[in-house]
Amino acid sequence: MASNERPQRGTLGDRLYDAAFQNRLWRSIFRSGYPNTPRNQMLAVATNVFLHLHPTRIHRTHVKITHTFCLGGLSFFLFLGLTITGVLLMFYYVPSIERAYQDILALETDVRFGQLMRNMHRWMAHGMVLTVIMHMMRVFYTGAYKPPREFNWVIGVVLLVLTLLLSFTGYLLPWDQLALWAITVGTNMVGSAPILGEPNRFVLVGGYQVGQAALIRFYTLHVIGLPLIAAVFMMVHFWRIRRDGGLARPL
Amino acid sequence: MTTVTPENSLEPISKAVRGRKSRAREEELLVWPDLVFIEFICAVLFTVLILILSVLVDAVLLDRANPAITPNPSKAPWYFLNLQELLLHMHPALAGVIVPTVALVALGAIPYFDSSSEGQGEWLSTPRAWLNLWVGALVGFFGTLLLILYDASKHVKIFEMIANGTLSPRAPSTPSAEQYAAALEARGDAVPSGLQEIINGANPVLSATDTVPSEFYSQSIWNGASGYTAWPESLEFLTTMRGIQNNIPWPEWSKSIPLGNLLRTDLFGFPRIELNIDIAALIVEQIIPVTAMIGLPVLLAAVASKTGIAQTKRDHMIMQFSGFIAVYVILTVVGTYFRGIGLELEPYTIFSHG
Repeated sequence: MASNERPQRGTLGDRLYDAAFQNRLWRSIFRSGYPNTPRNQMLAVATNVFLHLHPTRIHRTHVKITHTFCLGGLSFFLFLGLTITGVLLMFYYVPSIERAYQDILALETDVRFGQLMRNMHRWMAHGMVLTVIMHMMRVFYTGAYKPPREFNWVIGVVLLVLTLLLSFTGYLLPWDQLALWAITVGTNMVGSAPILGEPNRFVLVGGYQVGQAALIRFYTLHVIGLPLIAAVFMMVHFWRIRRDGGLARPL
Repeated sequence: MTTVTPENSLEPISKAVRGRKSRAREEELLVWPDLVFIEFICAVLFTVLILILSVLVDAVLLDRANPAITPNPSKAPWYFLNLQELLLHMHPALAGVIVPTVALVALGAIPYFDSSSEGQGEWLSTPRAWLNLWVGALVGFFGTLLLILYDASKHVKIFEMIANGTLSPRAPSTPSAEQYAAALEARGDAVPSGLQEIINGANPVLSATDTVPSEFYSQSIWNGASGYTAWPESLEFLTTMRGIQNNIPWPEWSKSIPLGNLLRTDLFGFPRIELNIDIAALIVEQIIPVTAMIGLPVLLAAVASKTGIAQTKRDHMIMQFSGFIAVYVILTVVGTYFRGIGLELEPYTIFSHG
């Protein structure tokens, strides 16, 4: 009897598979085996810090592209892409009104793939504003803001504002005519608020007109302040999706 | 002391989560591979799309920033051009700060107005959802467009075209000195001596066939003489929103009411507020826009209720939200593509004066 239960000697494929995925190295990195069985597939999601943002199982209708159009995920994807291209751009950029414009020119002409990086950063930034707005529309028209997800909708509105602010602060950095005057027009709008407008504008711009003080403020907010705040809100946003029962479904 | 049991440990969690029907296993999919792969493919697809776009189209870079040279027009980034468009029609505090703040708070409050579970989790699944979407979007889009055109006095030309029974928007051109003098005589008015000198040839520069110098010329007299019906002068104040302020003889006292003297903040140790109210400006820049921005959506909701287009809260929500999105879109489009030099409405040749 016992000899019958012993597994047969595997094929070459099986042995290669075992060598690749049943060894100590693989096991030390990924606690589960290769995700080719339902058990391992669930473990792959549940034991991975990045993938465990997902549940292990979801409803059949939720993988339909036309249900979400991936808009929330795309917004996050663009945020990640903007972080990567943004870090690369920071290698070549000094936020000083003497150097900033020269740095952008040098980036476009002297740096290999510099123009491409800048283009990607610019188009992804515009794209993120669009995907965030469209994601909001998707959530509204599928009624996904209804209880218990009310508060996550509020966090979403905060993330929309943060996205606009991130884009707005980045707008000044190339220090060309477009940047200077767009920010001048934009910050003047802040200054028009009753009573607190002018002090707020002064704090934002760091003076009476957009200059060096404004550039360093916008740069700092753009590369560290706002992304950190946005990341915190995103964490809560994603966490709450899970806590509130995943994607909305008809009750 | 209460023992925590699986039942009462769920208490704080919303009823909606707790009460959801447990679903059958056969309705489920595993996230790996069914969702993770979709996300992966989506990410690869968009990386490629962005790469292609970035190779084909370069990001704009103009001349180095120069505070001494103001470009005309100066525009904010595109997603704020809707606010910049609002600035042209109302008080800057209203357009730049109060309206966006109220809009964002209202947006965030949506789930607290509409907490029914009707239509949850499916695209526009309630019976009148699509109808309400289209009504809200179209009314928001064209209503805002009409308001913008109104404020640019584009209705004046339309009135003149209808009144003259002609499709040509062109007013009669400026007459010669001779023609204009004849029109004055026909009305029984005296011909000014300076105009008479031109006609008699006593003027060294101008002759009778030259156009009338502006100091003698009135468009309305010539229009009347040539049988052309212009926008009535008595309604001049209705040509634009600003007309209410500029073309009505407001009494002098109404132009600067020192509200700071009434508030007396200095009595409480605060600095004295310099707040001078101009009644006409207050009406034009604040009261009319606020009335329109609150009144028109309320009117839409009332009409939709009466006619049965919108019956439930969700119906109204869809209508108002779609209207909001449509207004955002049309303001952005007008601000981006139809505002030229001096932020004038373009293409200005359409229905333009003269």
